[in-house]
Amino acid sequence: MARIDIPAGSAPCEIAPVAANGTLRRIVEFDRVSKTYLPGTRKEFTAIRDVTFHVEDKPDVGEFIGMLGPSGCGKSTVLRLIAGLAPHFPATSGTVLVDGVPAEGPGPDRGFVFQDYANFPNRTVLDNVAFGLECAHVPQKERLERAWEWLGKVGLNAKNDAYKFPYQLSGGMNQRVAIARTLILGPRIILMDEPFGALDPGTRQNMQDLLVALWKELEATVFFVTHDVGEAVFLADRLYIFSPSPGSIVQQMAITPPDRKSVEMQAVPAFQQSVREVRHLLDQAGRVSPTAPTPA
Amino acid sequence: MADLDSKTPGAARRRGWLGNWWQRVGTLRDVPTQLEGMLLSLACIVGVLVIWWIITVGDGDHRLVDAYTLPSPAATFASFPLLWERGLSLGALTSLSRVFGGFLMAAAIGVPLGLISGSYLRVGAFFKPVSIFGRNVPIAALIPLTLIWFGTADVQKVMFIFLAAVAFIHFDSSSAARAVPDRFLETAYTLGARRNWTKGLRLCVIIALAYSMVASLGWSLLQEHVRLAADVKSAGFWLRALLGFALGIGLWFPLLSHQVLRKVVVPMAMPDVVNSLRLLFGLAFGYIMLAEVINPKHGLGALIITSQRQGPREHIYLCLLIIALLAWGIDRFILMIQRQAFPYLKYGQD
Repeated sequence: MARIDIPAGSAPCEIAPVAANGTLRRIVEFDRVSKTYLPGTRKEFTAIRDVTFHVEDKPDVGEFIGMLGPSGCGKSTVLRLIAGLAPHFPATSGTVLVDGVPAEGPGPDRGFVFQDYANFPNRTVLDNVAFGLECAHVPQKERLERAWEWLGKVGLNAKNDAYKFPYQLSGGMNQRVAIARTLILGPRIILMDEPFGALDPGTRQNMQDLLVALWKELEATVFFVTHDVGEAVFLADRLYIFSPSPGSIVQQMAITPPDRKSVEMQAVPAFQQSVREVRHLLDQAGRVSPTAPTPA
Repeated sequence: MADLDSKTPGAARRRGWLGNWWQRVGTLRDVPTQLEGMLLSLACIVGVLVIWWIITVGDGDHRLVDAYTLPSPAATFASFPLLWERGLSLGALTSLSRVFGGFLMAAAIGVPLGLISGSYLRVGAFFKPVSIFGRNVPIAALIPLTLIWFGTADVQKVMFIFLAAVAFIHFDSSSAARAVPDRFLETAYTLGARRNWTKGLRLCVIIALAYSMVASLGWSLLQEHVRLAADVKSAGFWLRALLGFALGIGLWFPLLSHQVLRKVVVPMAMPDVVNSLRLLFGLAFGYIMLAEVINPKHGLGALIITSQRQGPREHIYLCLLIIALLAWGIDRFILMIQRQAFPYLKYGQD
């Protein structure tokens, strides 16, 4: 475990080791989880090896977990194992527990936000947001009202955009629709796989602020995969740093959650210092993988 | 051609509008204006007519091509009223309804089966040999077989279209379902889409009733020597009704009983399916001529074959022209519907 000391007083971002505390219920638990594709063939590939961690279900809060690591280190595999999405699911070995029971196939209790939004092109914005409620047989009037409400919550102008099709929206607006569509169902766990990876920097910062604002009232546990160290440090309560393939978690650290807007945060020296430290750790993790020698 | 490559800025100004236009003709993917496009198409038509006129002008031995082989354009178009009197509209209508009948049957089976094959891949693997066979057998070779199986009346022509089209429709629908990206299925799953037997069954029964009607009533109406009133009392009628119902359930229940298919895969595959149906209908309309030259009774194919045997030969050319125009008109009509039905597609596919 790493300990990074930042001068106290002016520090909005404090990085400290996590103390394991087994008293709370564990919402997600990985115990020595490995995933190997095409085992026994020449194309055999191990995506993650012996990933072990657990996330406690803090009452009324939830935790925001940022996952950082080099490309192809298996961050997405971890996310998809929690979501129950094939072909990553099920794991080759080890146990994945969600809320104390072995993870099952995908369900609405675990929301997933993809990088490319995946908004249904044949549905209007409103019908996209209402999709989950439609599947759960919520009457049309009620589900459309709730969808309308959520459009406002994610910062869309419902009057303007509700009846547009996804192709008529910008990337940032599309991602807002995708987020509303997931959050409307009130999932306990939200899995986000580089959700802002395709957005331009300005939009990206707006989306980060939106996510912080929404998350405060959500009380859900969020797993957030990103390549952007600044984004991870800004959003996360806790960071998992992965080693290169086959991935495993080499560092866990707690981070003070953000107290101001993303664009202001970038200018705070202590924040910049934290980003530098995490980047350094990431670099170290990339060079020395403790579980396996880096494959050629 | 050398000046096409010239990059001197002054060159364009000196060339004049014709020169500029010629340069744009030589520019890759330079889009003509709508008027320009229409004028160019018109030029092609005029060109063909002029060539046609040149090789058929004059009389007797002075013509380049004799009147027996190729009538002049004037003579051809002048014979139109006579063709109309020979029952052109009835012929066109007959041909169209035969294609529609066979094609609708092929779509009613090929589309749902294709969507199932593209979604439940083991079902797809099972039907693969039939699909490959159906798409690779020469269509014309089906004519003798359909004559043996279905006689020479309307049923044979309809069934010929059905057999010719169904494998292609199945294949294209299967590809369309398969082409829906995994991402959308995964999204649907994580939003709670799941199997839903009861809702699926209700929708299914309605569709199956339609299948049952076609199999019982529709089939009776196709037969030439069967009277409906008598047929309703036969056991065969009710057996067909039952089989039709079972077929409808079997084809649609797998699709409608799963929310991911009903709400995501099927609607998202539909634009591709309709597009493929539009293109295949054009082909089927061509194939009906093959069936209609045998035992020619009504239909555009019949008109052509009797014109060849008894004249006037001008009518062959007129019929060909009308068939092409009709097929093109139907194609545009379906394209228009496509644009209405799928407003979220930025552009219709040609």
